[in-house]
Amino acid sequence: MSKFAAMKPRLPRLTRALVVLVMITAGLVAAGSTASSAAPVTIDLCAEPGNAALVSSVSVPIWGFHTGACGSAAPTLPGPQLEAHEGDTVTLNITNGLPAGHTLTFEIPGISFDAGPTDIAAGLSGSVSFTASAPGTYLYQAGGSEGRQAAMGLSGALLVRSATAGQAYDDPATAYDTEATVVLGAVDPNFNAAPDTYDMYIYQATYWLINGKAYPDTPVITAAAPQRLLLRYVNAGFDNTSMALLGMHEHVVARDAHLRTNPFDAAAETIPAGGTEDAIATVPSSTAPSVHGFPLYNRNLHLTNGPQTSADPAPATGGGMLTFIHP
Amino acid sequence: MSEQATARRGKKSTMTHKMWRLGTVLALTAGSLIAVAGHGSALPLGAPKVGMVCTPGTVNGTAHTFNLETKTGYIETPDGNSVFMWSYDNPGVDNGHFQSPGPVLCATEGQTIEVNLTNHLAEPTSVVFPGQQDVTWTGGTAGLLTTEAAANGGTVTYRFTATNAGTYLYESGSDVAKQVEMGLYGALVIRPSLGANFAYGASTTQFDPSREYLALLADIDPFLHHAVEIGATYDFNSRDNRYFTINGRSFPDTIQDNGSGLLPNQPYGALVRIQPNSPSNPQPGLIRMVNAGVDNHPFHPHGNHTTQIAQDGRLMTAPGGAPAFTEHFGETIGAGQTEDFLLRWDDQDHWDPGTNPLPVPPPNYRDVTFKDSNTWYSGSPYLGYKGTLPAGTTTQNICGEWYFPWHSHALNEFTNFDEGFGGMGTLLRVDPPGGCFTAAASTAILSGVLKSGSASALAVDDTNYYQVNPRTTTRPTATTAGQTTITVASTAGFPTTPGYYIRIDNEVLQVTAGQGTTTWTVARGQLGTAAASHLSGATITGLANDWYGSFSGVRAGSTNLKVTYKGKNCQATSGTTCPTFTGAAAPQQTVKICNWTALGAANCATAASPGWVTLPTPGGGLGPAQPQTVGSTDVSSTWTLPGSASQYIGTGAYNGQVRVLIHTQRWTGPSPTPFSTWGNLLALVYDAP
Repeated sequence: MSKFAAMKPRLPRLTRALVVLVMITAGLVAAGSTASSAAPVTIDLCAEPGNAALVSSVSVPIWGFHTGACGSAAPTLPGPQLEAHEGDTVTLNITNGLPAGHTLTFEIPGISFDAGPTDIAAGLSGSVSFTASAPGTYLYQAGGSEGRQAAMGLSGALLVRSATAGQAYDDPATAYDTEATVVLGAVDPNFNAAPDTYDMYIYQATYWLINGKAYPDTPVITAAAPQRLLLRYVNAGFDNTSMALLGMHEHVVARDAHLRTNPFDAAAETIPAGGTEDAIATVPSSTAPSVHGFPLYNRNLHLTNGPQTSADPAPATGGGMLTFIHP
Repeated sequence: MSEQATARRGKKSTMTHKMWRLGTVLALTAGSLIAVAGHGSALPLGAPKVGMVCTPGTVNGTAHTFNLETKTGYIETPDGNSVFMWSYDNPGVDNGHFQSPGPVLCATEGQTIEVNLTNHLAEPTSVVFPGQQDVTWTGGTAGLLTTEAAANGGTVTYRFTATNAGTYLYESGSDVAKQVEMGLYGALVIRPSLGANFAYGASTTQFDPSREYLALLADIDPFLHHAVEIGATYDFNSRDNRYFTINGRSFPDTIQDNGSGLLPNQPYGALVRIQPNSPSNPQPGLIRMVNAGVDNHPFHPHGNHTTQIAQDGRLMTAPGGAPAFTEHFGETIGAGQTEDFLLRWDDQDHWDPGTNPLPVPPPNYRDVTFKDSNTWYSGSPYLGYKGTLPAGTTTQNICGEWYFPWHSHALNEFTNFDEGFGGMGTLLRVDPPGGCFTAAASTAILSGVLKSGSASALAVDDTNYYQVNPRTTTRPTATTAGQTTITVASTAGFPTTPGYYIRIDNEVLQVTAGQGTTTWTVARGQLGTAAASHLSGATITGLANDWYGSFSGVRAGSTNLKVTYKGKNCQATSGTTCPTFTGAAAPQQTVKICNWTALGAANCATAASPGWVTLPTPGGGLGPAQPQTVGSTDVSSTWTLPGSASQYIGTGAYNGQVRVLIHTQRWTGPSPTPFSTWGNLLALVYDAP
């Protein structure tokens, strides 16, 4: 029986931005941040090389984002969770600290930037701005180098909080008590070791991650009956990912930051590569299927870590894109 | 130590079994390799040949118990391969016959479901129930996702209340990257308390219970299965699925019957049958889809949209409760998901060769070729009709039904290890309304003579008739008014049983003996006529005729035959008009069907043979009583023969033949005159097997 390992968030050193920025890598977030009137938000970001520990002693080189000036902090996998409130005017000052020749194109699918360049050459800085008019869960990423930048880890979640506190989308059907951002991704360490020259045709991921970690290091999702848990799925990976939830259903209220006219209940949902999905699971008071809690896991069965060289999936105690919901 | 698995082995797997270290023996069901023709394998008694098959379990009050055990075995693939599988089966049923996928468990909303699992694998296993809440357990040991049964005989019992109707998946929760891939999955169906002809507790989900289908999708990496079979290592990061299944079979095995003796370890077929939506067939079919595989599958039903009503056991509703059903001809079902669809097939155009023909002529059959000279096409573009196919073409078509492929549109999945048109596919078969129908392919006159027309005039209710006159012959000598024995030039075509009437000039005589020979004993001056003398060479005309239509291609096992005959009689034996009857009553018609049993064709060789059964058949047949008086206006009659029709379908040299006899006589006074029988339509409707 595997020992459950509690996730301790590794909080990098922060450089405070001009306006309050809440930085989360994992775990429980109490909703109830007060709805504020629209305000200007400025965030400084740097994209530069670093390292990420995927699980236990496995660490891979990455290209990642962090807040503040380049060199002032370590990039993370995924990048920092950015937040704004509905109606805020957001300015992102991005410095491209990648090696020479790697032009970065910053994009947030579903959000149109104000007029201006989005390409930032290596060594230079640039700004993108937009009005966060639509609440929801978004993916930000660096396009460029034919997708190799995104594969190296240059992506993260952006949350635009709705004007109504405690509702994901200004709609009572999206009311929640607690939330968790679930960034899905995958890593092929052989690619990470040689991102410019690796033959992408043979790209094969061997680590499957939730918020940059593989089980047993995945962040636990803390929620208890009868809380309504908002699961914000963000697929920063390269393939369509089916996530299964055991012991409860989730109420799918939005896809790609668009509120569904007809929300529906699901026990397994596919989040397309590059897509986001918001689902609200009401934690039941019943017995969880596992002693570790209610499993939330990759139903494409990517529950392994690293190279597989034996007759059984490794590790035998469980790995990959798996976490648990428990009080 | 286990050997390294070869990177890319050849298509055919080796059938070597390897003793596991430490003396652990895999329970391989070698006996399951022997095909037992017609054996129902693991299916319960009375299971339908087509459609979803439920495992009944045991019901005790509100408790519904199912026993499952894990076992290893082999499945067949259409390219001649066999794949080593792990699966669940019913212990104690048919000696715990191995089956893939696991048994379909069916229960009702509100019941307490209990699943007793016994594990014969050499590693711990378990069952998880996606979509169910509050699953508790007794026994077992805590595992990663749920409580497990120990290896080599361990047990665990799961219990939950079936709170919500719907279609669900059950599968292993242990070492899932290996165990689910190896085949440990099955479907769980919870019926609503509203009734078994509803999918959910909403009237909008009503369906025809005889049209309920399961499509459980899965993918198979034969390299993993071979590695497990021989205890070799395997790279779980480089999965390479080459076989793709619906209900455990790959196309074309998917269209074989449930319990086919060709596939003893794969009891569930996936053929979908429907008839066009109509006022007499108003309910849709229900398709329950479950994706037990590791990949999403974009399922693509040809032929009609399907209406998605639910996902993961939950109805799609708008806020406020109205149904939020959507129509699809492509619906990606995610790994681990279930989706329910209602299926209606609507005949939009009602093309009919008689009343609404296609505006362009079909291509000349000589200009048409078929791949491998094999086709599902009937040769006619009209639903329910068969046409001409080029010589040498083999058709799978039975009675003009239409076939549409339903398949994964990831076209690499529509293959058997790269051989096209295989894998994750099945067929939708659309039968003509009411079932197959066929017209008489040929006719034979047992007693009478052809006036005009041929069997093709009987195919369609129109202005073409098949016309039969009573037989005539002549008197070779003069006849006195008093003689009671006469010779005739020929007896051919006259009835072979005594008691029939003939007419010479204005006299009606009755033949009481000598039938079948050229010397007849006769009673003179019958039916209101007077005995008289007749000249030599006088014409003798019969006052009855018998002819039958023969249908071909009716498959053994067809049921629910309906015979339709539409025709009339005319007061003339020549000319193209049909005069009405005057004087004596119009003729009496009796329609009979041939019962082939015991004597074969001899049973129905003559009009008086014992094989002819007057319709309606005894024992529950429906239709007008006979004989019927039929004059010069078409009379249409339909008789239904309930249930099995095996005695009416020929075998051996008469394979697939059905014969229907039309006997018409005008043997009532006063002074009946000869007539002709005009047949308009002689058709058969039946449920092909």
